[in-house]
Amino acid sequence: MIPVDTPSVTAEVNRILQAVLGDFGADMPISPDSTFRDDLGMESIDVVALAGRLQARYGAGVNLAQFVASLDVDSVRELRVGQLVDHIVLSMNRADGRP
Amino acid sequence: MTTVRVNDIDLHVQELTPTGVADPPTVVLLHGLATDSMASWYFTMAYPLVELGYRVLLLDLRGHGRSQRPALGYALDDFVDDLDALLAGREKVTIMGNSFGGTVAFAYAARHPEKVAGIVSVESSPPTPVWFARLTSRLSDLANAVARPRALVAVGARRGARGAQRAQDAARLLAETSLREELPASRLPARARLEAITCPVLCLYGDRSHVVEMAPETQRLLPQAALRVFAGQKHSLLIDQPEDVRAAITTWLRGGSHA
Repeated sequence: MIPVDTPSVTAEVNRILQAVLGDFGADMPISPDSTFRDDLGMESIDVVALAGRLQARYGAGVNLAQFVASLDVDSVRELRVGQLVDHIVLSMNRADGRP
Repeated sequence: MTTVRVNDIDLHVQELTPTGVADPPTVVLLHGLATDSMASWYFTMAYPLVELGYRVLLLDLRGHGRSQRPALGYALDDFVDDLDALLAGREKVTIMGNSFGGTVAFAYAARHPEKVAGIVSVESSPPTPVWFARLTSRLSDLANAVARPRALVAVGARRGARGAQRAQDAARLLAETSLREELPASRLPARARLEAITCPVLCLYGDRSHVVEMAPETQRLLPQAALRVFAGQKHSLLIDQPEDVRAAITTWLRGGSHA
């Protein structure tokens, strides 16, 4: 069973982010307020790679393509790590609640 | 990350599947040349298509995004061979291509007209000699732009370290592979093969992009093509106006002319 409380998901997202960022992420401070684009300097293909890894970890219930499709272009640009964590926690708890 | 090995290289693919749809039809999304990747489709059309009940297959073309970058093998046929291998054994697909991705879609349909249910071309053209002459000239413009060290510094100031890295990556693609030589020298499908594409086609253009000048020739080759021109838009139509593109594609898919 994968823990889906906020601290556990935050730690996991940070770990996956470091992996996606590779050398660039080595000494990058990541906080819930970090924006993917400006603070972490992620290009969109990096976010796709992140989405793929998140789906592999949490299953189809965590759908970043769906999440970003619900946001307008400016909101995607300003997307923060904390928002992603909230989305995962929400998605996973919703999935658990299904019969 | 999902990679599939075809034609001796590893390609990065992502597949999104609608829930509760038995045997969903497949849409393949192909991106543009050099500075592009599957991301431009992933964040604009991928999920809206899943919501419409399609299985969505995204691909980073060879040399691009997170796919492998061989030193050789960048003629049009090489890109089509990859798609061919990836789609082997699948039912008919609809292919949507942005810029050069649209050209690969038309070239695949020229090779396998029976395997394509429809084509959406965003700021693109079928592989004609005139279009390839333009691609060649765009490639040398890009090569000249990224060859200037100051250009990369400027990108870095504007888009940060990773942004500069992407620009540098496009520069490397041009410097370290045969793309600049092989792509312009590509063997192109015979005109009759392009004219034999009978599936429904939707072509989207921005009226501030030169690509719209290719529209009359596309219409001559493919009289069934529906054309939409967006006022005030440039070559980056897909990422600048995703909502308009989404609406146009959704209307076309629901229109019924499309299988």
